[in-house]
Amino acid sequence: MRLAELQRLMRRTLLDGGRDPALPALLADPPEQRERRLAVYRNNVCHALASVLDAAFPVVRQLVGAECFTATALAFVAEQPPRQPALYEYGGDFPAFLARFRPLVELPWLADVARLEWARNEALFAAERESLTPARLAAVPAAELTDLRLQPHPSARWLESPWPIHATWDAHQPGGGPLEAVDLERAESVLVWRQSGSVRQRLLSDGEFALLAALAANRPLAAAAASAAERDSAFDFSVALARFLNEALLVCATG
Amino acid sequence: MADARDRAVLPARAGIGLRHPHLPEFLAAPQPAAWLEVHSENYLAPGGPRLAALERLRGDYPLSCHGVGLSLGSAEGLDRAHLARLRALYDRFEPAAVSEHLAWSTVPDGVFLADLLPLPYTREALDAVVANIDCAQEALGRRLLIENPSTYLRFCRADWDEAGFLAELVRRTGCGLLLDVNNLYVSAANHGTDPLAPLDCLPLAAVEEIHIAGHARAATATGELLIDDHGSAAEPVWALLATTLARAGPKPILVEWDTNIPELPILLGEAERADACLRGAGHALG
Repeated sequence: MRLAELQRLMRRTLLDGGRDPALPALLADPPEQRERRLAVYRNNVCHALASVLDAAFPVVRQLVGAECFTATALAFVAEQPPRQPALYEYGGDFPAFLARFRPLVELPWLADVARLEWARNEALFAAERESLTPARLAAVPAAELTDLRLQPHPSARWLESPWPIHATWDAHQPGGGPLEAVDLERAESVLVWRQSGSVRQRLLSDGEFALLAALAANRPLAAAAASAAERDSAFDFSVALARFLNEALLVCATG
Repeated sequence: MADARDRAVLPARAGIGLRHPHLPEFLAAPQPAAWLEVHSENYLAPGGPRLAALERLRGDYPLSCHGVGLSLGSAEGLDRAHLARLRALYDRFEPAAVSEHLAWSTVPDGVFLADLLPLPYTREALDAVVANIDCAQEALGRRLLIENPSTYLRFCRADWDEAGFLAELVRRTGCGLLLDVNNLYVSAANHGTDPLAPLDCLPLAAVEEIHIAGHARAATATGELLIDDHGSAAEPVWALLATTLARAGPKPILVEWDTNIPELPILLGEAERADACLRGAGHALG
């Protein structure tokens, strides 16, 4: 058997649970040991890939329990195995998989909690970029502020959910709020970003959410502020901007 | 302290794997580790605190980058995009050593299986691995050290044993070797062979780094299998290290312990023991 064919055969055996007798027949080990020896590799492959998802989705794991999580992770791994070796990038499609995974259809909020955890993973590994300080913005001439283009830091992610994903996440942290107090009827918008090397997370008002989205779409500052006010009548632009600056959340747009 | 980038080679002393839980201690104070090794794939992200920590530590410790994903045994060539990312990492951190495994992980259809899978030691496989090492050394602009794997099965078809296959790789590509004495021990136990035998066949002058690690014992219906688990090293593996050093001369030794990661002092204690092995073999610490 050619090497390429052997490797495809091993993939089917190790990842897809195939039991093609062609593979054991190629082994030099005693016949009664061959399946056990292949099982070591099968366990290694499954354990390695499920562990990547374990590490990226710790709250989802707590919500469904370790056993259910591993079974779900392995179903995902079999359907969408990684296609490159930098495994910190593996798992971005897991939230969408959860949303359509029939055995978990009773937990409709689970996929959005997973989206939040993936946003945290992305924020941890995103590119570095120097943030705009309040002092630097203060130095911009007033006449130029209207047309200034600011953008969210590369680590920033903002999510809208019909579910209380931030409260649910928080209830699973050490010292977090009580899970019983989470109001399942409450929609939440959440901001995730990295500041001073740590991933941070907080709720966003509708206006703040609209402001970030408009800045990310490269709208000038005044137009972005107007679209936020349109979305949220209680929105106070100067308060929101000061808060974003203090959170090291904004950078100067390039070009 | 002189910038460790200026030191072109790893010292013939014990180093440790740099693991995320120990980063705060390394950043807070100098630690008595002669050198550090990282898994290359853990540092391919564009940014973040881990990369920033490595940037800071790189000036204080000689560095070895250990790749776990290049899949030198793949039948249909290497992942060029991955090679380019590794190249950028190595150009940034200028490691004193860069290593990969005699194994494969990427299927010809592109799926990455996240394990070091075994190769048949055939002429066809040798040609494929030689071509891949040539390609990698060219693309990375560096000589690679190739590590012997832990294996749990063997193929009927074989033109060499593992040591003979590695010797051919060294001869044909000019690569160096990373000799993992735990893997030697595990594979020999699993295949009923003598763990010392490879030392007669391997070109020991090409060995530029040694790994020592631990293994688990798994009961089977017909006996037991040893499984490499990167835990605490067992006594027979320490004995094999001593024999290897006596035969091969002083080498940089990595204490590779990355499951159930211990407290840093325990890991440094294992490095102390490896340094004692170097002294015991009559080698002055470099």
